[in-house]
Amino acid sequence: MSLGYNIRKMELKVDTHLQQLTQILQQSWRHIRTERMKATLKIQQAACDAMRSYLKSVGFMELLPPIIGPVTDPGIRGAKQVTFDYYGREYKVMSSAILYKQAAMSGLGKIFFMSPNIRLEPIDSASSGRHLVEFVQLDLEIANATYFDAMSVAENLLCAAMNTVKDECKRELELLGRELPTFSPPFKKFTYDEVLELLRKNGMKVRYGVEIPWDAEYLISKIMDEPFFIIDYPRGARGFYDREDENRPGILRDFDLIYPEGYGEGASGAEREYRYDRVMARMRETGEDPRKYAWYLEMLREGIPPSAGFGIGVERLTRYLCGLNAVWEARLCPKVAGVYSP
Amino acid sequence: MQVSRVTLRLFLSLHRLYSIFGDLHQIWRAYPFREIIDRARRGVEAIYPADVLKPSIMTLKGADIYSRAKQFATLDELLLLPPAFTPLRLKKMSELLREPLFSDVDLRHKIGGFNAAMPVMAASMGSVHVANKISLEVARGAAKLGIPMGVGENVATTWGYSRRVKANQPCFKERVMTYLEGLEEGYGGVAIQQSVEDAYNELWNRVYSDPDIEPYLKKGMIGFEIKIGQGSKPGLGGEARLTKEDAERLRDKYHFSEDPREVSRGVIERHSAPGTYVPEILRSMVRMMRNNYPRCRVWVKLGPFRDLPDVLNTLLDEGVDAVWIDGKEGGTGMSPYASMRHLGLPLVAALCSVSEFLKSRGRLTSILASGRLFDGGHLVKCLCLGLDGVAFGRPLAVAAWAGGARGVENYLRTVEVEAKMLVSALGKYSINDLSPEDLGCLDRDIAERLGVRYVYS
Repeated sequence: MSLGYNIRKMELKVDTHLQQLTQILQQSWRHIRTERMKATLKIQQAACDAMRSYLKSVGFMELLPPIIGPVTDPGIRGAKQVTFDYYGREYKVMSSAILYKQAAMSGLGKIFFMSPNIRLEPIDSASSGRHLVEFVQLDLEIANATYFDAMSVAENLLCAAMNTVKDECKRELELLGRELPTFSPPFKKFTYDEVLELLRKNGMKVRYGVEIPWDAEYLISKIMDEPFFIIDYPRGARGFYDREDENRPGILRDFDLIYPEGYGEGASGAEREYRYDRVMARMRETGEDPRKYAWYLEMLREGIPPSAGFGIGVERLTRYLCGLNAVWEARLCPKVAGVYSP
Repeated sequence: MQVSRVTLRLFLSLHRLYSIFGDLHQIWRAYPFREIIDRARRGVEAIYPADVLKPSIMTLKGADIYSRAKQFATLDELLLLPPAFTPLRLKKMSELLREPLFSDVDLRHKIGGFNAAMPVMAASMGSVHVANKISLEVARGAAKLGIPMGVGENVATTWGYSRRVKANQPCFKERVMTYLEGLEEGYGGVAIQQSVEDAYNELWNRVYSDPDIEPYLKKGMIGFEIKIGQGSKPGLGGEARLTKEDAERLRDKYHFSEDPREVSRGVIERHSAPGTYVPEILRSMVRMMRNNYPRCRVWVKLGPFRDLPDVLNTLLDEGVDAVWIDGKEGGTGMSPYASMRHLGLPLVAALCSVSEFLKSRGRLTSILASGRLFDGGHLVKCLCLGLDGVAFGRPLAVAAWAGGARGVENYLRTVEVEAKMLVSALGKYSINDLSPEDLGCLDRDIAERLGVRYVYS
């Protein structure tokens, strides 16, 4: 199961790739007229419709997503948040609506948003093919659920989208030269430790305790021929809201859904830490100032039910379904880190 | 005759006067009258060393820690002991085909993932007026010499990230870019601290996605530094004195005990929290940094805490790139008297822990020392103990005030030449050859803990 995958070669490609990318993106309004893009967006719409109707059929309620607020998701791996002046105070544009999801869940039980997010990603993400500055995720939360419940929703959701696209978008898939297999849940689950071991066997050393780097994730995604989950990340690899397993200190009850064929991470989720004092201690790890999260902490102190949830990126899903090279092909006028484009 | 009698009488009365004053002085000295009167007059302000000088000059000069506190051992307790037989000089001679000179000593070293032309770093100076004002001169001097530089907390929040908020105070990015652009290819690196208040404005994220800094990120020349305490006030948070005007501007960003708008004094203290750590928090913090900033080095600045070995163990398990230990002699510009007198380990004591630690775990990360270190001898002694270098703070600030960037450069050159002389005197030409065998100690207990010879044995 070795690929002879060369990271150095990829590094070399990056610079030239970035120049070409900039040229392409500066004329992005033209892309919408191509057959390729029309087919892609058609498939995206079919997938979104399928996910919406699946979720509604199992009792979820769709809410309009909050877009700005005094704080947003801090667990976004080195990306910067957008801060703006809000009548003399600082406000943030949502990097994810995670904090609002917990609020909504506490009243309605099973909820989801089609949530537009902005993350000013580091510039080296421009050539990853997987990062956008502006993107949409289907973000859901389930009250009184475990992360296994959430994973079960995630796999059914993905299969619903895939099956609908296969039924309704035959012409588009053909145009894109994409053949989609049929999968049946449940998907395989590997623990973080198992994945590290698998990577080690393939000659790739990953430092314990960090999220799996892109090149390693690519490798493991390429090895697999079916979507799968990576579960149980170590504490320190995620935001303060991923819940630590009480019986296994240092292990978080969380997961990533990984697409096969090298497409990499598609969704990310967890059981939530909902206890006030635990969240305070975890905030310290990220160097966050608890004062900043006043409303959220106040809400936790009043008490909210435990919950689990995840977010699945719409553009990444589209990329996988359509077999696109890069995630920016799945959006009208996409924004990629460091590239100034329409 | 007459003249000499007058002289004698004058001498006698002067002597009497002198003894009266002497007695008074002794009474005065026998009890800390001055200190108590000072407290009675000035109130809480008297706990800081502000004396008669302007606060900014006090900050620059540092406090008189040696006469105010009970004397403690310093690096002067150690001597470098050259041998007559020098096999490594012979080796160097055969390499050079001539007698080696002190200028043949190679001081280049890797510190915390950065290439340094000599094993010295410009210590992370923060946002305090005097330090920030000369920061560009320090940056130019450090860049010229090819040594790594730190940027302390609160600079971006207080003086702006990329635009000056006050005409005469450089902003954060000016400090960083002046340094990076002044470097010679292949040398240097910058370690950046982030306080809770800087984190509010996402300083590290901002640096990590800044297009101007990107080329240096790519070369691995950017590090982020966690700060756990400071030399002269371990366990206490940052203390700064701001002008009323600056305090009013920053009143939303920092915690002031009184609302700056309602204070009539010209200078207002700002306190910040020391930060809460347990092994799990520190471990997760380092992981979070590796996770979020995979292309950055992870540096840690550590005060002289009694559980130093435990902290070092945790940091080494997580594989940080550098740990910089500040002895209680360090950072005395703006610390309460009480902390300078009563808190923390002297640098030598901290070095005892470090040297025991190095013996048990080996050299797995760069370890640096600071705290009243200012010459080539201090540097070489630390290297002999197995450290990877020293950090200079106040010496560079004083040199910059005295002679600008040129002053910083001149000063660093003197350290460089001194270090080369001393290393060559030991019959060695590479700093990797230095070891505890090159040291002797004047104190038996310290000698034993450091694993060096007692000079009188």
